[in-house]
Amino acid sequence: MATHQPDPVLHPEVQQASFTGYTVGFVLSLALLMAALLITEQHALPPLKLLGAISALAMVALFAQCFLFFGLNIALHNIWKSVSLVLTVPLFILTIGLTVWMFHELDSLTMLPGASVMPGMNMQPTLLQ
Amino acid sequence: MQMNIVKDGKIPPLWHYGHEEHDVIGAKTFGFWLYMLSDALLFAGLFAAYGVLDHTMNAAGGPTESQVVHPIAATWQTFAVLSSVFAYSLATVALKRGNRAGVVLGMLAAIGLGVVFLGLELADFASLFHAGATPFTSGFLSAFFVLIASHGLHMVFGLLWMLVMLVQVLRFGFSTAVVAQLLNLRLFWQFQASVWVCVYVFVYLKGTI
Repeated sequence: MATHQPDPVLHPEVQQASFTGYTVGFVLSLALLMAALLITEQHALPPLKLLGAISALAMVALFAQCFLFFGLNIALHNIWKSVSLVLTVPLFILTIGLTVWMFHELDSLTMLPGASVMPGMNMQPTLLQ
Repeated sequence: MQMNIVKDGKIPPLWHYGHEEHDVIGAKTFGFWLYMLSDALLFAGLFAAYGVLDHTMNAAGGPTESQVVHPIAATWQTFAVLSSVFAYSLATVALKRGNRAGVVLGMLAAIGLGVVFLGLELADFASLFHAGATPFTSGFLSAFFVLIASHGLHMVFGLLWMLVMLVQVLRFGFSTAVVAQLLNLRLFWQFQASVWVCVYVFVYLKGTI
Protein backbone atom coordinates (compact mmCIF):
# COMPACT_ATOMS: atom_id res chain seq x y z
CA MET A 1 0.00 0.00 0.00
CA ALA A 2 1.11 3.48 -0.75
CA THR A 3 1.74 5.66 2.22
CA HIS A 4 0.29 8.77 0.59
CA GLN A 5 -2.37 9.57 -1.98
CA PRO A 6 -0.98 11.46 -4.98
CA ASP A 7 -2.80 14.62 -6.07
CA PRO A 8 -5.37 13.46 -8.69
CA VAL A 9 -5.00 16.80 -10.51
CA LEU A 10 -1.48 15.67 -11.49
CA HIS A 11 -2.87 12.66 -13.35
CA PRO A 12 -1.73 12.73 -17.01
CA GLU A 13 -5.34 12.64 -18.28
CA VAL A 14 -6.04 15.82 -16.31
CA GLN A 15 -2.80 17.38 -17.44
CA GLN A 16 -3.49 16.59 -21.12
CA ALA A 17 -6.21 19.31 -21.15
CA SER A 18 -5.06 22.01 -23.54
CA PHE A 19 -6.58 25.45 -24.07
CA THR A 20 -4.94 25.70 -27.50
CA GLY A 21 -5.97 22.19 -28.53
CA TYR A 22 -9.61 22.70 -27.49
CA THR A 23 -9.77 26.12 -29.18
CA VAL A 24 -8.36 24.77 -32.44
CA GLY A 25 -10.72 21.75 -32.21
CA PHE A 26 -13.74 24.00 -31.66
CA VAL A 27 -12.87 26.46 -34.46
CA LEU A 28 -11.91 23.67 -36.89
CA SER A 29 -15.14 21.71 -36.22
CA LEU A 30 -17.24 24.84 -36.78
CA ALA A 31 -15.30 25.86 -39.90
CA LEU A 32 -15.61 22.41 -41.49
CA LEU A 33 -19.34 22.19 -40.77
CA MET A 34 -19.93 25.71 -42.09
CA ALA A 35 -18.00 24.79 -45.26
CA ALA A 36 -20.27 21.74 -45.61
CA LEU A 37 -23.34 23.96 -45.11
CA LEU A 38 -22.10 26.47 -47.71
CA ILE A 39 -21.48 23.95 -50.50
CA THR A 40 -24.80 22.22 -49.71
CA GLU A 41 -26.83 25.44 -49.78
CA GLN A 42 -25.19 26.56 -53.02
CA HIS A 43 -25.47 23.09 -54.59
CA ALA A 44 -21.88 23.63 -55.64
CA LEU A 45 -21.49 20.06 -56.93
CA PRO A 46 -23.67 17.34 -58.51
CA PRO A 47 -25.63 15.42 -55.78
CA LEU A 48 -23.36 12.37 -55.51
CA LYS A 49 -20.16 14.42 -55.47
CA LEU A 50 -21.74 16.82 -52.98
CA LEU A 51 -22.57 13.89 -50.67
CA GLY A 52 -18.95 12.71 -51.00
CA ALA A 53 -17.61 16.19 -50.24
CA ILE A 54 -19.73 16.79 -47.11
CA SER A 55 -18.95 13.23 -45.90
CA ALA A 56 -15.24 13.97 -46.29
CA LEU A 57 -15.62 17.24 -44.35
CA ALA A 58 -17.47 15.35 -41.57
CA MET A 59 -14.69 12.73 -41.42
CA VAL A 60 -12.02 15.44 -41.13
CA ALA A 61 -14.04 17.07 -38.31
CA LEU A 62 -14.31 13.71 -36.49
CA PHE A 63 -10.57 13.08 -36.91
CA ALA A 64 -9.81 16.55 -35.56
CA GLN A 65 -12.05 15.89 -32.55
CA CYS A 66 -10.34 12.55 -31.87
CA PHE A 67 -6.96 14.26 -31.60
CA LEU A 68 -7.87 17.69 -30.27
CA PHE A 69 -10.90 16.92 -28.02
CA PHE A 70 -10.40 13.31 -26.92
CA GLY A 71 -6.61 13.76 -26.98
CA LEU A 72 -6.08 10.35 -28.55
CA ASN A 73 -2.46 9.48 -29.20
CA ILE A 74 -0.02 6.67 -28.51
CA ALA A 75 1.13 7.98 -25.13
CA LEU A 76 1.27 5.39 -22.38
CA HIS A 77 -1.98 6.46 -20.69
CA ASN A 78 -3.90 6.80 -23.99
CA ILE A 79 -2.76 4.02 -26.28
CA TRP A 80 -5.49 1.53 -25.34
CA LYS A 81 -8.16 4.14 -26.00
CA SER A 82 -6.68 4.69 -29.46
CA VAL A 83 -6.37 0.94 -30.11
CA SER A 84 -9.95 0.20 -28.98
CA LEU A 85 -11.27 2.98 -31.26
CA VAL A 86 -9.29 1.67 -34.23
CA LEU A 87 -10.69 -1.82 -33.58
CA THR A 88 -14.24 -0.42 -33.36
CA VAL A 89 -14.10 1.57 -36.63
CA PRO A 90 -14.56 -1.59 -38.81
CA LEU A 91 -17.70 -2.33 -36.75
CA PHE A 92 -19.12 1.10 -37.67
CA ILE A 93 -18.35 0.45 -41.34
CA LEU A 94 -19.92 -3.02 -41.23
CA THR A 95 -23.01 -1.85 -39.35
CA ILE A 96 -23.82 1.19 -41.47
CA GLY A 97 -22.24 0.28 -44.81
CA LEU A 98 -23.53 -3.26 -45.10
CA THR A 99 -27.02 -2.39 -43.87
CA VAL A 100 -27.41 0.42 -46.41
CA TRP A 101 -25.88 -1.76 -49.17
CA MET A 102 -28.22 -4.69 -48.39
CA PHE A 103 -31.34 -2.55 -48.50
CA HIS A 104 -30.11 -0.74 -51.61
CA GLU A 105 -29.86 -4.15 -53.32
CA LEU A 106 -33.26 -5.13 -51.96
CA ASP A 107 -34.73 -1.90 -53.29
CA SER A 108 -33.29 -2.30 -56.76
CA LEU A 109 -34.27 -5.97 -57.00
CA THR A 110 -37.73 -6.07 -55.47
CA MET A 111 -39.32 -2.63 -55.33
CA LEU A 112 -41.89 -1.97 -57.98
CA PRO A 113 -41.21 0.83 -60.46
CA GLY A 114 -43.29 3.93 -59.79
CA ALA A 115 -44.25 2.78 -56.27
CA SER A 116 -41.90 5.30 -54.69
CA VAL A 117 -43.56 8.17 -56.53
CA MET A 118 -47.17 7.36 -55.68
CA PRO A 119 -47.51 4.76 -52.95
CA GLY A 120 -50.36 2.37 -53.65
CA MET A 121 -50.85 3.74 -57.14
CA ASN A 122 -49.37 3.03 -60.52
CA MET A 123 -48.48 -0.54 -59.49
CA GLN A 124 -47.42 -3.02 -62.13
CA PRO A 125 -49.68 -6.12 -62.18
CA THR A 126 -48.22 -9.12 -60.42
CA LEU A 127 -48.11 -12.61 -61.91
CA LEU A 128 -51.25 -13.54 -59.96
CA GLN A 129 -53.38 -10.85 -61.57
CA MET B 1 2.73 5.31 -5.39
CA GLN B 2 0.14 5.59 -8.15
CA MET B 3 1.29 4.83 -11.68
CA ASN B 4 1.18 7.16 -14.66
CA ILE B 5 1.85 10.23 -12.59
CA VAL B 6 4.02 12.74 -14.34
CA LYS B 7 6.84 13.59 -12.02
CA ASP B 8 9.72 15.86 -12.95
CA GLY B 9 8.59 15.52 -16.58
CA LYS B 10 9.22 11.75 -16.53
CA ILE B 11 6.52 9.11 -17.02
CA PRO B 12 7.24 6.01 -14.95
CA PRO B 13 6.85 2.59 -16.62
CA LEU B 14 3.31 1.27 -17.00
CA TRP B 15 4.00 -1.59 -14.63
CA HIS B 16 6.95 -3.03 -12.88
CA TYR B 17 7.53 -5.27 -9.92
CA GLY B 18 6.60 -3.64 -6.65
CA HIS B 19 3.89 -1.37 -8.06
CA GLU B 20 0.83 -3.23 -6.80
CA GLU B 21 -1.55 -0.27 -6.67
CA HIS B 22 -3.33 0.34 -9.94
CA ASP B 23 -4.18 3.59 -11.66
CA VAL B 24 -7.71 4.25 -10.32
CA ILE B 25 -8.43 7.26 -12.57
CA GLY B 26 -6.98 5.57 -15.67
CA ALA B 27 -9.04 2.40 -15.05
CA LYS B 28 -12.24 4.42 -14.63
CA THR B 29 -11.74 6.54 -17.76
CA PHE B 30 -10.77 3.51 -19.86
CA GLY B 31 -13.87 1.63 -18.69
CA PHE B 32 -16.00 4.63 -19.54
CA TRP B 33 -14.29 4.99 -22.93
CA LEU B 34 -15.29 1.40 -23.77
CA TYR B 35 -18.86 2.27 -22.76
CA MET B 36 -18.73 5.29 -25.10
CA LEU B 37 -17.59 3.05 -27.97
CA SER B 38 -20.57 0.76 -27.38
CA ASP B 39 -22.78 3.85 -27.25
CA ALA B 40 -21.28 4.89 -30.59
CA LEU B 41 -22.32 1.49 -31.98
CA LEU B 42 -25.87 2.22 -30.82
CA PHE B 43 -25.75 5.38 -32.95
CA ALA B 44 -24.24 3.37 -35.83
CA GLY B 45 -27.36 1.16 -35.69
CA LEU B 46 -29.63 4.22 -35.67
CA PHE B 47 -27.76 5.81 -38.59
CA ALA B 48 -27.96 2.51 -40.50
CA ALA B 49 -31.75 2.42 -39.94
CA TYR B 50 -32.03 6.06 -40.98
CA GLY B 51 -29.88 5.44 -44.08
CA VAL B 52 -32.44 2.81 -45.16
CA LEU B 53 -35.64 4.55 -44.10
CA ASP B 54 -34.90 7.98 -45.56
CA HIS B 55 -35.93 6.63 -48.98
CA THR B 56 -39.05 8.34 -50.40
CA MET B 57 -40.78 4.95 -50.39
CA ASN B 58 -40.73 4.96 -46.57
CA ALA B 59 -42.36 8.37 -46.26
CA ALA B 60 -45.70 6.52 -46.75
CA GLY B 61 -47.23 9.50 -48.51
CA GLY B 62 -46.21 11.82 -45.65
CA PRO B 63 -43.47 14.46 -45.59
CA THR B 64 -40.12 13.46 -47.06
CA GLU B 65 -36.62 14.16 -45.79
CA SER B 66 -36.21 17.46 -47.63
CA GLN B 67 -39.51 18.70 -46.13
CA VAL B 68 -38.62 18.09 -42.47
CA VAL B 69 -34.95 19.10 -42.23
CA HIS B 70 -33.93 22.75 -41.93
CA PRO B 71 -30.12 23.09 -42.18
CA ILE B 72 -30.01 26.77 -41.20
CA ALA B 73 -32.08 26.14 -38.03
CA ALA B 74 -29.86 23.15 -37.25
CA THR B 75 -26.81 25.39 -37.65
CA TRP B 76 -27.84 27.30 -34.51
CA GLN B 77 -27.99 23.95 -32.70
CA THR B 78 -24.49 23.23 -34.07
CA PHE B 79 -23.20 26.48 -32.58
CA ALA B 80 -24.88 25.71 -29.24
CA VAL B 81 -23.64 22.12 -28.85
CA LEU B 82 -20.07 22.85 -30.00
CA SER B 83 -19.87 25.92 -27.74
CA SER B 84 -21.18 23.88 -24.81
CA VAL B 85 -18.55 21.20 -25.40
CA PHE B 86 -15.88 23.90 -25.72
CA ALA B 87 -17.03 25.49 -22.42
CA TYR B 88 -16.83 22.17 -20.57
CA SER B 89 -13.44 21.45 -22.15
CA LEU B 90 -12.22 24.80 -20.82
CA ALA B 91 -13.56 23.80 -17.41
CA THR B 92 -11.14 20.85 -17.51
CA VAL B 93 -8.30 23.24 -18.43
CA ALA B 94 -9.18 25.04 -15.18
CA LEU B 95 -9.18 21.63 -13.43
CA LYS B 96 -5.63 21.09 -14.67
CA ARG B 97 -4.66 24.24 -12.76
CA GLY B 98 -6.67 23.22 -9.70
CA ASN B 99 -8.94 26.25 -10.23
CA ARG B 100 -12.30 25.39 -8.64
CA ALA B 101 -14.01 28.66 -9.68
CA GLY B 102 -12.91 28.10 -13.29
CA VAL B 103 -14.35 24.58 -13.30
CA VAL B 104 -17.66 25.79 -11.88
CA LEU B 105 -17.88 28.70 -14.37
CA GLY B 106 -17.06 26.44 -17.33
CA MET B 107 -19.71 23.93 -16.26
CA LEU B 108 -22.33 26.67 -15.79
CA ALA B 109 -21.61 27.97 -19.30
CA ALA B 110 -21.77 24.43 -20.70
CA ILE B 111 -25.11 23.85 -18.94
CA GLY B 112 -26.56 27.14 -20.29
CA LEU B 113 -25.50 26.37 -23.86
CA GLY B 114 -26.75 22.79 -23.55
CA VAL B 115 -30.15 24.09 -22.44
CA VAL B 116 -30.18 26.42 -25.49
CA PHE B 117 -29.47 23.41 -27.73
CA LEU B 118 -32.30 21.39 -26.20
CA GLY B 119 -34.67 24.39 -26.43
CA LEU B 120 -33.96 24.72 -30.16
CA GLU B 121 -34.47 20.99 -30.66
CA LEU B 122 -37.78 20.96 -28.78
CA ALA B 123 -38.98 24.00 -30.77
CA ASP B 124 -38.12 22.15 -34.00
CA PHE B 125 -40.00 19.05 -32.80
CA ALA B 126 -43.00 21.18 -31.79
CA SER B 127 -43.21 22.81 -35.23
CA LEU B 128 -42.96 19.41 -36.95
CA PHE B 129 -45.67 17.97 -34.68
CA HIS B 130 -47.83 21.02 -35.39
CA ALA B 131 -47.43 20.36 -39.12
CA GLY B 132 -48.59 16.77 -38.58
CA ALA B 133 -45.14 15.17 -38.88
CA THR B 134 -45.00 12.79 -35.89
CA PRO B 135 -43.02 9.57 -35.27
CA PHE B 136 -46.21 7.65 -36.12
CA THR B 137 -46.64 9.20 -39.57
CA SER B 138 -44.16 6.98 -41.41
CA GLY B 139 -41.19 4.66 -41.08
CA PHE B 140 -38.98 7.52 -42.21
CA LEU B 141 -40.25 9.87 -39.48
CA SER B 142 -39.94 7.11 -36.84
CA ALA B 143 -36.25 6.76 -37.73
CA PHE B 144 -35.79 10.54 -37.90
CA PHE B 145 -37.29 11.24 -34.47
CA VAL B 146 -35.61 8.27 -32.79
CA LEU B 147 -32.18 9.29 -34.09
CA ILE B 148 -32.50 12.98 -33.19
CA ALA B 149 -34.20 12.30 -29.84
CA SER B 150 -31.54 9.71 -28.88
CA HIS B 151 -28.89 12.40 -29.21
CA GLY B 152 -31.14 14.87 -27.36
CA LEU B 153 -31.66 12.37 -24.54
CA HIS B 154 -27.89 11.98 -24.22
CA MET B 155 -27.70 15.77 -23.89
CA VAL B 156 -30.35 15.71 -21.12
CA PHE B 157 -28.43 13.08 -19.14
CA GLY B 158 -25.18 14.97 -19.71
CA LEU B 159 -26.74 18.13 -18.25
CA LEU B 160 -28.08 16.21 -15.23
CA TRP B 161 -24.63 14.68 -14.72
CA MET B 162 -23.10 18.17 -14.92
CA LEU B 163 -25.47 19.45 -12.23
CA VAL B 164 -24.46 16.56 -9.98
CA MET B 165 -20.77 17.28 -10.62
CA LEU B 166 -21.28 20.97 -9.79
CA VAL B 167 -22.48 19.96 -6.34
CA GLN B 168 -19.69 17.41 -5.92
CA VAL B 169 -16.95 19.85 -6.94
CA LEU B 170 -18.27 22.47 -4.50
CA ARG B 171 -18.72 19.94 -1.71
CA PHE B 172 -15.77 17.56 -2.05
CA GLY B 173 -13.25 19.52 -4.13
CA PHE B 174 -10.89 17.66 -6.48
CA SER B 175 -10.81 14.23 -4.83
CA THR B 176 -9.78 11.19 -6.90
CA ALA B 177 -13.42 10.13 -7.35
CA VAL B 178 -14.55 13.62 -8.40
CA VAL B 179 -11.64 14.09 -10.82
CA ALA B 180 -12.34 10.69 -12.45
CA GLN B 181 -16.01 11.65 -12.88
CA LEU B 182 -15.08 15.05 -14.35
CA LEU B 183 -12.84 13.29 -16.91
CA ASN B 184 -15.58 10.78 -17.78
CA LEU B 185 -18.07 13.61 -18.19
CA ARG B 186 -15.61 15.34 -20.54
CA LEU B 187 -15.52 12.15 -22.67
CA PHE B 188 -19.32 11.95 -22.62
CA TRP B 189 -19.84 15.60 -23.50
CA GLN B 190 -17.21 15.69 -26.28
CA PHE B 191 -18.79 12.52 -27.68
CA GLN B 192 -22.06 14.46 -28.11
CA ALA B 193 -20.20 16.92 -30.38
CA SER B 194 -18.93 14.02 -32.51
CA VAL B 195 -22.41 12.50 -32.81
CA TRP B 196 -23.82 15.92 -33.72
CA VAL B 197 -21.26 16.26 -36.56
CA CYS B 198 -22.79 13.06 -38.04
CA VAL B 199 -26.38 14.15 -37.35
CA TYR B 200 -25.84 17.60 -38.88
CA VAL B 201 -24.10 16.33 -42.01
CA PHE B 202 -25.92 13.05 -42.66
CA VAL B 203 -29.41 14.15 -41.63
CA TYR B 204 -29.75 17.92 -41.96
CA LEU B 205 -27.36 18.61 -44.86
CA LYS B 206 -27.82 15.34 -46.79
CA GLY B 207 -31.59 15.84 -46.54
CA THR B 208 -31.45 18.89 -48.77
CA ILE B 209 -29.24 17.37 -51.49
